[in-house]
Amino acid sequence: MNTRYSDKNPLILRILGTAGKALILGVACVFTAFPFLWMVLSSLKTKADILNTDVFFPPDPQWQNITSILFDSPIPKYIFNSMWVSLAIVALQIVSGAMLAYALVFLKFRTNRILFAIVMATYMLPVAATYIPSYIILADWGLLDSFGGLIISSTVSIFGIFLLRQAFMQIPKGLVEAARMDGASHWRALWEIVCPMTKSSFITFGLMNFIGTYNNYMWPSLITKTSDYFLVSQGLRAFFVRDGAYGTEWALVMAASAVVVIPLLVLFAFTQRWFINGIGGETGMKG
Amino acid sequence: MSEIILKHITKEYENGFLAVKDVNLEIKDNEFVILVGPSGCGKSTTLRMIAGLEDISEGDLLIDGERMNDVAPQHRDIAMVFQNYALYPHMSVYQNIAYSLKIKKVPKSEIDKRVREVAQSLGLEGLLDRRPGQLSGGQKQRVAMGRAIIRHPKAFLMDEPLSNLDAKLRGQMRVEIADLYQRLNTTFIYVTHDQTEAMTLGTKIVVMKDGEIQQIDSPANLFNYPANRFVAGFIGTPTMNFFDASCEETGGQVVLQTDTGTIRMNDKKAAALKEGGWIGKKVAAGIRPEHVISAKDGASKVFEGEVGVFELLGSNAIVYLQTASGRMVMNTTDLREYTHGERVALGVMEDKVHIFDPETERTVTN
Ligand SMILES: Nc1ncnc2c1ncn2[C@@H]1O[C@H](COP(=O)(O)OP(=O)(O)OP(=O)(O)O)[C@@H](O)[C@H]1O
Ligand SMILES: [Mg+2]
Repeated sequence: MNTRYSDKNPLILRILGTAGKALILGVACVFTAFPFLWMVLSSLKTKADILNTDVFFPPDPQWQNITSILFDSPIPKYIFNSMWVSLAIVALQIVSGAMLAYALVFLKFRTNRILFAIVMATYMLPVAATYIPSYIILADWGLLDSFGGLIISSTVSIFGIFLLRQAFMQIPKGLVEAARMDGASHWRALWEIVCPMTKSSFITFGLMNFIGTYNNYMWPSLITKTSDYFLVSQGLRAFFVRDGAYGTEWALVMAASAVVVIPLLVLFAFTQRWFINGIGGETGMKG
Repeated sequence: MSEIILKHITKEYENGFLAVKDVNLEIKDNEFVILVGPSGCGKSTTLRMIAGLEDISEGDLLIDGERMNDVAPQHRDIAMVFQNYALYPHMSVYQNIAYSLKIKKVPKSEIDKRVREVAQSLGLEGLLDRRPGQLSGGQKQRVAMGRAIIRHPKAFLMDEPLSNLDAKLRGQMRVEIADLYQRLNTTFIYVTHDQTEAMTLGTKIVVMKDGEIQQIDSPANLFNYPANRFVAGFIGTPTMNFFDASCEETGGQVVLQTDTGTIRMNDKKAAALKEGGWIGKKVAAGIRPEHVISAKDGASKVFEGEVGVFELLGSNAIVYLQTASGRMVMNTTDLREYTHGERVALGVMEDKVHIFDPETERTVTN
């Protein structure tokens, strides 16, 4: 379709078309990247330069902003908290999500469809509606203001279940049956046959939920008050309001924000290949 | 040693469909059992219940005397070869074959030894590092076979393992499976559509229709002594010719009277017909194409046919004729050319006539 379209059109139109696409994408890129760039540049400025809109590039890079965040602030602690809590949550979400998706796709039981409908119905529920019951449950269990509470309240990801279910449905049932005949339990079939074949969905799932949890603000700030248990967003905010509304050290806030993003960028750089594949759908799984 | 017994096995699918009805089957150690029947008759369902991949709705499945209904497939010690091979695409051929041993925690060195043995016996040595995606259909088939035989299971289940191969390869693999069976001394349960596979491989054939077993017998008995009209028509290619006749007794001789001739019944058939009270009644009769002969060869004329299509197959020829009793097929080794529209007087080998009850379709006498 695309080729036929361009074959019919003179060269000039094709060039214009390409240029148009590039323009739209370029503008979108600028809009997306600009705040990020601005944050990075601001982190190297003085407070005065940040507030002075005439200065775009830092005239004299203030590297000590970064080093003071890294060595003289609680930010690294919050990053560490966020990292390991997110890691634990994502690990639990992957295990629980994979098990449920496996059951939905490969096991035959009467309530199979109803179960899936219930799972999806939970997805429709506004997140805010779950805050109060979840809070009460955590309070009952004495898990407020603790890592345990943070982790246990996010062990299941509906999005992940859905993503994995879609991926598992592409796998011929015969493969799981063959594994069962070969002596594999459901558990082994899941991790040794199904999982390797849907690797990119697992990575997409893990990465998206890792980022989400890492950056999560609302829920953690509801259940934690002690700064020992802060995740990055909450920590950043605490850092931000530390000196009162007028005393905000903008340069340090920017530097802290930039530092906080680094782990995510590194993670993304390593998994990008799989990530894109997972969103675009599994390929080559048939047969 | 393994004996598999199906007792009153019934399968009702979730949607209420009765796919298998009251199946009773005894499979002794070292038998090669073939399940045949038209599409949708419940062959795969039966096999999958034995494997444990499908729940048994009613009845008992015994393996070596133990009730297996609720035992998970991985604990039944049965291997299965799937129609579409179901090789693990992310594993090499080596890993595919070794997977079951790895699960059993067999030591690496022993796994290696056994994989190489199996690979050699199946001619897969050069392919061990390949992924299934890089194999031809025949090679995939062998890997699937290798994956099953490396385990030394109690029984092999195969669901139309050769149906995805071309005719020549299928013939070749059929011989290899026969060879395998001779070497392995294990029970085989094999589902197929293919008559040749059924007749050449099986020591015992189970003919099914609509979820019910029609007959269980050796290939030769099934062919010579079908239990009913369905089995008679299902086994043998080209299929048996069926025609209506009336059973009469004239001067002590029991005969079948067709529109155009008579067939004399031998003592055994006559006795069965008399005993069943068929004298003077209509029966359904059947004769295999290879038992239809030209009346010129000394046989008395039973039908008069007009030649439709003539197919020369090499050592034999198939002649399709239209007669007053319906279409007839003759399988003859007399290789003269029949021409379209030619009129031929046909006789039958009288001892080979099968007679069925026209109502119940059960065999009266073979
Ligand atoms: N999951 C299911 N739910 C409902 N009905 C089913 C299911 N699986 C199979 N059936 C039905 O059960 C019957 C038997 O199916 P089965 O697969 O055993 O047939 P088969 O003899 O193996 O046929 P074929 O030779 O075509 O493979 C068929 O009519 C089929 O439509
Ligand atoms: Mg089938």
